[in-house]
Amino acid sequence: MSGGFNEIHPEPTTFISKYIISFDHKVIAKQFLWMGIAFLGLGGMMAILIRWTLAYPGQAFPVLGGFLFPNTAGVVPPDTYAMLFTMHGTIMIFFAITPILIGAFGNYCIPLMIGARDMAFPMLNMLSFWFAFASGVVLCASLLLPLGAAAGGWTSYPTLSTTIGSPGAGQTLWCVSIFLFGISSTMGAINYVTTVITLRAPGMGYFDMPLTVWGLWLTAILNAIFVPVLGAGVILLTLDRVMGTTFFLAGASATSGSGDPVLFQHVFWIFGHPEVYILILPAWGIVSDLLSFFARKPAFGAKATALSMTAVTILSTVVYGHHMFTTSMSPLLTQSFMTMTMTISIPSAIFFANWLGTIWRGSIRFDSPMLFSLGVVFVFGLGGLTGLHLGTVTTDLYLHDTYFVVGHFHYTMAASVLLGGFAGIYFWFPKMFGRMMNETLAKIHFWGTMIPLNGIFFGMLMVGYGGMHRRIYNPFVYESLQKLIPINTMITISALIMGAFQIIFVINFLWSLLKGPKASQNPWEVGTLEWTIPSPPVHHNYDVIPVVRCGPHEFGNPNLKTGRDFQYQTEELVEATT
Amino acid sequence: MNRSQSQNNLAMTIVLISGAMLFATLFMGYAIYRTSAPTWPPMGSTKVSLGLPFLATLTILLSSWFCHRVQLAVKVENFARASMELNMTLGLGFVFLFIQSSLWFHMKNVGLYTSSGIFASILYAYTWIHAVHVVLGLFSLIWLRVVLRPSNARILQKTINVERFWHFLGIVWIIMFLTLFVL
Amino acid sequence: MGFSNINVGPSWWDLSMPPIDISTNGHLIDSLFNYTTALCVFYFVLVCIGLFGFSFIYSRKRHKTAYYTYGNKKQHLIFTAVIGAAVFLTIDLNITRIANNDLLGEFWKFPNPKTEKVLRVEVMAQQWMWSFRYTGPDNQFGTKDDVVTNNDLRVPVNTKILFHLTSKDVIHSFWVPNVRVKVDTIPGRVTRTWWEVTTPGVYDIACAEMCGTPHYLMKAQLTVLSEEDFGRWLKSSEELAINTNDPDDMNLAWGWKWEI
Ligand code: HEA
Ligand code: HEA
Ligand code: CUA
Ligand SMILES: [Cu+2]
Repeated sequence: MSGGFNEIHPEPTTFISKYIISFDHKVIAKQFLWMGIAFLGLGGMMAILIRWTLAYPGQAFPVLGGFLFPNTAGVVPPDTYAMLFTMHGTIMIFFAITPILIGAFGNYCIPLMIGARDMAFPMLNMLSFWFAFASGVVLCASLLLPLGAAAGGWTSYPTLSTTIGSPGAGQTLWCVSIFLFGISSTMGAINYVTTVITLRAPGMGYFDMPLTVWGLWLTAILNAIFVPVLGAGVILLTLDRVMGTTFFLAGASATSGSGDPVLFQHVFWIFGHPEVYILILPAWGIVSDLLSFFARKPAFGAKATALSMTAVTILSTVVYGHHMFTTSMSPLLTQSFMTMTMTISIPSAIFFANWLGTIWRGSIRFDSPMLFSLGVVFVFGLGGLTGLHLGTVTTDLYLHDTYFVVGHFHYTMAASVLLGGFAGIYFWFPKMFGRMMNETLAKIHFWGTMIPLNGIFFGMLMVGYGGMHRRIYNPFVYESLQKLIPINTMITISALIMGAFQIIFVINFLWSLLKGPKASQNPWEVGTLEWTIPSPPVHHNYDVIPVVRCGPHEFGNPNLKTGRDFQYQTEELVEATT
Repeated sequence: MNRSQSQNNLAMTIVLISGAMLFATLFMGYAIYRTSAPTWPPMGSTKVSLGLPFLATLTILLSSWFCHRVQLAVKVENFARASMELNMTLGLGFVFLFIQSSLWFHMKNVGLYTSSGIFASILYAYTWIHAVHVVLGLFSLIWLRVVLRPSNARILQKTINVERFWHFLGIVWIIMFLTLFVL
Repeated sequence: MGFSNINVGPSWWDLSMPPIDISTNGHLIDSLFNYTTALCVFYFVLVCIGLFGFSFIYSRKRHKTAYYTYGNKKQHLIFTAVIGAAVFLTIDLNITRIANNDLLGEFWKFPNPKTEKVLRVEVMAQQWMWSFRYTGPDNQFGTKDDVVTNNDLRVPVNTKILFHLTSKDVIHSFWVPNVRVKVDTIPGRVTRTWWEVTTPGVYDIACAEMCGTPHYLMKAQLTVLSEEDFGRWLKSSEELAINTNDPDDMNLAWGWKWEI
């Protein structure tokens, strides 16, 4: 932007305006990050409780148990278990992954990486965070209700989620919370899309944007389009609960006139399937960039990667029916959804190939962000490929609502997206806070996460195929499932180990925040715009808006005379003779 | 068209897309209920008389028309007239809300309650959701009324965006009128 | 897999195998699953070779300077295109075709009671139990002579069984792991499924869809009998029904006319 620094908003002076209701995208990003990590912790603790119950049914949860569940002597009660996995799912998806990947990295990276002084609408940005925060508070509040929080699963299918299935106010608060969150996401989306379209630094074409920005941009577009669909869904559900309407009530439960519970499933998944790509697109973008940055090599087929991510974005809007194969939809629908679902693997395979092409003949530096990125390639391979088993209707008739599904989506979300998020945190921490994180601890954290993680989630795939279904408090009331006790125990132990190693992350994070060695302007030797300015950047990011002269992945050009092996995006592209 | 202008237009476009998706979902639901029902309106519920909805349609159309004239007036920088037209837009907006609320009372009187089946559910819920958006629209109109000054920078394009939102609500209502009440 | 050798007794690999298949169609699902798995393993091995191989060979130590390329040379594009095409042709087309054939050929090929020998059963799910209804002598559902059982489904071997299912309250899902297939029971509508079993015995029926806190307890028993035993059982329970069913017992009144 031509004008002075203050064109967007003046440098804040008071504590409040600096840290609480800040308009500065960098501060808002940090707010989202803190919120995300806190909820990740909460969701993780819930996961541990879930795992304990599944491996040691009827046994008191050590240490905390007695305090958490006094009237059952520390054993997780069945109704609490239902609330646990419902809240775990909701929290992890909406309040852990979304704030970190989209809220934090979106806010932090987009303006810096495209050379802008801030988002297009800083005010809206601030509101977006506080709406998210409010919805988080509402959700947590529902945990304290006499009848407890929502317990119908994060998908909260009616009629279970209507008053006939869940009388308590918890489900209503869940709807309210999700609605508030939707408003926040939409605000964010408006901001991201507008910013990317209008605020790119002069000279930066769409294909000069780092792939991270591509991912975040596509995510924002999906958000703007599909979050309102869920919004409509939860409004109707709320009305059913509080105003006595009968949109989703049917059969004996519908007093008069009959609605259609399956309609909610359609609405939910029209949103829900894009949502899962909303979650992973930023991670894909980050990984595509980091692989190139640390292989010291231009991203292999960057354009193709960007385009196939776009293709996935488009396809993701027409496959949602694969979540509903067992509702016996019309055969035609079923068949077309199966076919569409399959086609998504083509673009996925293409950028997969590009990822491998990127590290092929590179000169790979195994810093922590790179380790996590390589980890994502591994786990997303597994997560994606297991999606194919679910995509074919006949196999899904068996696998639907088993732990195979749970394993699939943990590999894609809890593994791919989580590791991608960690990669991003380790990579941008120096820029965000001006200090380096401890590399050794980071590497320990990586291996301590990566190995047990596969124990957990591959174990889930195994018990799932073994016939253990989801959302059951005690699998072993089924004699046929008792054979799975050893594997379930293994999963739980892995989960405990993984959880323990996350504490190392938290320690590293907090310690580096205060005591970490000062970070140079460009510790990773990367050429994208945010590394051309001091860490942490000044309030207005760029004294003069940079002019972009080359792509984000200019590494290892043999003709470079600068002594560096990379080029800043602000430098004229050196012609390569090869 | 300078950057901040294109920014605001783009933002409003996205807002409208999101809003459109919300109402599109509702209409999709309506289509499914309607097509899967043996008879429409279902047993026991009767259609509401078209009088009030028709009146509401006229009102909101008129109001949209005035809203457009506001923009024309601002274009030629005749702010006296602009604020006049804007008052009309606002007034008609409130009239629309009044008609809607009397519609709800009317439905109650003819024995349609929110709990009396899917037909009533749709009529009430959809009109409620639309009305809430109209309230938001009125707020933005009031805001425009406040900032409507020659001194105000980029007033024309602020007017245009508010106008787009108001027209959007008009269009949604017309679709509702045709699908929920007439058909 | 890797786990198989770290504990005694049946290997975890065996443990994670699905329960024995007692149906005529289940093997289709198992074989498609294994086929898909094989293909996935193949591609995943490729991924791993690339991932670990490149990481090893091209680590900074061994490979000082990176090869400068955008990966947009002709052969590069061909390479990616080939991967994409390969995945599509070898995996997608194959498994979609197989699944589609199995659906049309078996799972969606509902037997017609008018023309062939079919046992018809109505299933009513409710929080938290399963009720099953047989027509009784008059071949009519919803009449006094219907045989109604709770959490106890008995079927003969080598007979096509056609289920019409619904739910009283919330959505449940009717699942017999040994038969593989699963179908949701939805209030306000009737869903269908059919299967044929071959091996007598006692098996689990599970509710696979979250339906409230006791969801995990919502199990029923499937008893597969020889045709004679089944006939005997049905006969006796029909007589029992005629003598004892009282028409205005609400718990029995849920049967509905069966329209095909
Ligand atoms: C980030 C999240 C994420 C992602 C990316 C995906 C990706 C995919 N998912 Fe998943 N899915 C979920 C999250 C996700 N999913 C969640 C949360 C649920 C459950 C919700 C619930 O019920 O609670 C779910 C459930 C779910 C179901 C419903 C299962 C059921 O309930 O019965 C199905 C069915 O088709 C499915 C399919 C797929 C497919 C085909 C992909 C495809 O996108 C996968 C495409 C990728 C590949 C195919 C791999 C490509 C790579 C290769 C092929 C390697 C070859 C390359 C070389 C050799 C170089 N998913
Ligand atoms: C991205 C989302 C995400 C993530 C990361 C996870 C992570 C984990 N999940 Fe999650 N899970 C879901 C999304 C996720 N899950 C969803 C959507 C469902 C479906 C819910 C439903 O059925 O409705 C589900 C359901 C689900 C189930 C099935 C419940 C059931 O069906 O009965 C199980 C069971 O084992 C499980 C286990 C785990 C485990 C062991 C982890 C482990 O990876 C957890 C490891 C992480 C930690 C231990 C915490 C890490 C902590 C920090 C990094 C910082 C700590 C900070 C502080 C202390 C302040 N999950
Ligand atoms: Cu019935 Cu779960
Ligand atoms: Cu999906």
